Amino acid sequence: MYGGDEVSAIVVDLGSHTCKAGYAGEDAPKAVFPSVVGSIDQMEVDDPDNSDKNSVSADSKPKGKHKFYVGSQDLGFRRDHMEVLSPIKDGIVVDWDMVESIWDHALRKCLLIDPKEHPMLLAESCSNTQHHREKAAEIMFEKYQVPALFLAKNAVLTSFASGRATSLVVDSGGGSTTVAPVHDGYVIQKAVSTSPIGGELLTDCLLKSLEQKGIAIKPRYAFKRKEIRPGEFQTVDLDFPNTTESYKLYSQRVIASDIKECVCRAPDTPYDETSYSNIPMTPYELPDGQTIEIGADRFKIPDVLFNPSLVQTIPGMESSLETASTIRGLPQMVIDSINKCDVDIRRELYSSILLAGGTSSMQQLKERLEKDLLEESPQSARVKVLASGNATERRFSVWIGGSILASLGSFQQMWFSKSEYEEHGASYIQRKCP
Amino acid sequence: MDAKDILGIPKNALPSQDKKSKPPKETQRKPDGISREVYALTGGLAPLMPAIDVNHLKRKAQLENEKITWQWLPFTSSARKDDLQLYHWVRVVNGVPPTGDYSFAKYNKSVDVIKYTDEEYAKYLSDPAWTKEETDQLFDMCEQFDLRFIVIADRFPTSKTVEELKHRYYSVSRTILIARAPSPGDVAGHPLVKDPYNESQEKERKRALALVLSHTKHQERRDVEVLAQAKRITEARKTIKAPKAPELPIISDVGPLGIDSADNVSPPTNSQLPSSSVTNPVSETASVVASLRMMRVYLRSYALEQLVQAASSSAGLRTIKRVEQTLHDLGVNLKPKVPTRAVCAEHLELRKEILTLLNLQKQLQYKEAEGTSYRDASYTEPPGTPTKRSVRAADLDQTFTPDSLGFGGERSGKREQKRKGPGRLSEAPSSPAQSKRPRKFKASD
Repeated sequence: MYGGDEVSAIVVDLGSHTCKAGYAGEDAPKAVFPSVVGSIDQMEVDDPDNSDKNSVSADSKPKGKHKFYVGSQDLGFRRDHMEVLSPIKDGIVVDWDMVESIWDHALRKCLLIDPKEHPMLLAESCSNTQHHREKAAEIMFEKYQVPALFLAKNAVLTSFASGRATSLVVDSGGGSTTVAPVHDGYVIQKAVSTSPIGGELLTDCLLKSLEQKGIAIKPRYAFKRKEIRPGEFQTVDLDFPNTTESYKLYSQRVIASDIKECVCRAPDTPYDETSYSNIPMTPYELPDGQTIEIGADRFKIPDVLFNPSLVQTIPGMESSLETASTIRGLPQMVIDSINKCDVDIRRELYSSILLAGGTSSMQQLKERLEKDLLEESPQSARVKVLASGNATERRFSVWIGGSILASLGSFQQMWFSKSEYEEHGASYIQRKCP
Repeated sequence: MDAKDILGIPKNALPSQDKKSKPPKETQRKPDGISREVYALTGGLAPLMPAIDVNHLKRKAQLENEKITWQWLPFTSSARKDDLQLYHWVRVVNGVPPTGDYSFAKYNKSVDVIKYTDEEYAKYLSDPAWTKEETDQLFDMCEQFDLRFIVIADRFPTSKTVEELKHRYYSVSRTILIARAPSPGDVAGHPLVKDPYNESQEKERKRALALVLSHTKHQERRDVEVLAQAKRITEARKTIKAPKAPELPIISDVGPLGIDSADNVSPPTNSQLPSSSVTNPVSETASVVASLRMMRVYLRSYALEQLVQAASSSAGLRTIKRVEQTLHDLGVNLKPKVPTRAVCAEHLELRKEILTLLNLQKQLQYKEAEGTSYRDASYTEPPGTPTKRSVRAADLDQTFTPDSLGFGGERSGKREQKRKGPGRLSEAPSSPAQSKRPRKFKASD
């Protein structure tokens, strides 16, 4: 019943931070690159306002032609007037042109395939709307001419990746954190809760915190290191006046997220200023040779996941979370989500809580979450937080679930095929991909 | 085996435990032929349909003149409604591709959801709480989601609870089933008709479950503390009350004894003796009952054991063995197989009576021995004793009749034997002995 049958399907997971694409049946995606695009407005080169207006508006047609630069190689190269923009906001696509360019890059440049020959499995966010699904189906069938398509929810794919049909999926990725219960392969929509606290917010917190301490992170393009003597380097600052702010911020974020991944760990107890004031500092060497020391921030930043009000204590970040008071910490979100489900499945959900997403590979996060949940959860329920030990598996668990699903023999009857699309229209996707 | 008899451990304890531990282990062992990880995907349980026949997993032997190639060929599946052609690798033998349906199409199982027509709806199924559109949509979703009511409730456009949806679905199905059946008897065996869905019971059960699950760890800790305190208080109260407790049952037991013995003009001392002897067994049973009540919930078989032990605690090991021997001779199990209330009471009664029987037999022998020794020693006996003896005999006889005594009867009898010792004469054997002795004398004469 669970036998595999490879039909060479392609699995694409467009997340808020990275896009993952690859063949179904493999255990890791071949193409992993940031899901932001660099866009240069071709018509008005010296008018950044125009390009801002054009790229931010979702529905109006762009006035000028945009050249999109996708992929870490293209993005790593600094270009004049290149804006870095993200097509995804709050987990939902807002700019379809950018998404098309990302898909193009993934399919044609990274995987080198012709979409006409491969059925496509797309992973979508749990709160995706009907309109967006229809639009995705339309683009896929009209532009790429895929033979068959399926849209699967992220939480369901993560659940399948761990071999369960019922579980509570805590997906903390770049842009947001989503807690979604999955029952028997279907997401319980009414119990899904999202919070805007994600990896990128934590990176921003770290950046602001370091700036406040006087440490300026120089983006990679802004300096050059010359070797004066063997083993010794001298840093020379370069100046590029036409670099956009967004690109500068993007480059700084790359470095800051690396700091975050290396140095930060989730504290065992809730963070408070006094107890962590005498923490020994950890050194970290920046790309320009500067060595910085990071102390209490190591624990403060990850604790934002559990205690969102900490964001307000970081100067420069007070305004980023307007409704910070209503945003709950991670354990509270888990419990609220479970309590919104039917009573009969609550026990099973408590005993299979899955961690997924890039931010969840933070050290000690699983232990801290388990500890907090044991406090708040009912006595008779056995709380178990599961996370795969491998950090890459946690990052790609959605993609891996898609890979498993698309290569199952009994899944092949569930594709939404081109002929069905032509017969019933894009709205039939609601029926076919519940 | 002898050791177990001596220790009193029942012989059948171990084998049943082994049987219990075996069945759960059987299900956790994975079947051969699939890897451990794939089996874990199913959740550790075998799938409902037998998926892989072990014979199929053996490599197909390639005959000498066969040419095997693998080709990328299109296929269709009967499980799909359209004619989508996907491609996959196919093992081609001698240029002939395999025929037949897609091998995974047979796993496409779905639930039989009843479809009703509009006239049937109008005739049988109208309900104030449900419109026709809602009912239609419900049935449509039931078919789409294979009766996963939790998912259906989640996606139903108007908000209805899982119980309401289930109730509507099952009542509609039931009504249609009964309406379509040629006679009610035909469908009486159908599970839908036999066990209708009980909405209120489900609601109650869910409410109780929600209550259980809403106790957080803090509350549990507080509950435990409160319970510990309550326990301490009740125990303190019990130690105060304990000296007063034994008096009450004695008074009630001595009542019937006193009434009966009053007929025979018993001196008050006599009634006191039985009363004092009654205290001990009654207090023992009272303590057993009290200890059982402390547990609040206990198995009847355990209670029976305790009571039997309490009853035979003063009997001596040999006597217990003889009781058990007698039970065995009678064909009665040492421990009742089905310990219901009636069975346990009867078992207890039986044990008591056997004990009494054995005691009487012992007394008989003892008294006969005494009688012979007395006969040899002297003819005369103190005149007071016959009356005492008769009184005691009467007492003994009466101890059997009132049921309310329970253990006390036989116990008092036994205690009296013991207390009398060699110096005194006992009644029951003595009265037949008395009647026997003249005969014996006559015989001897």
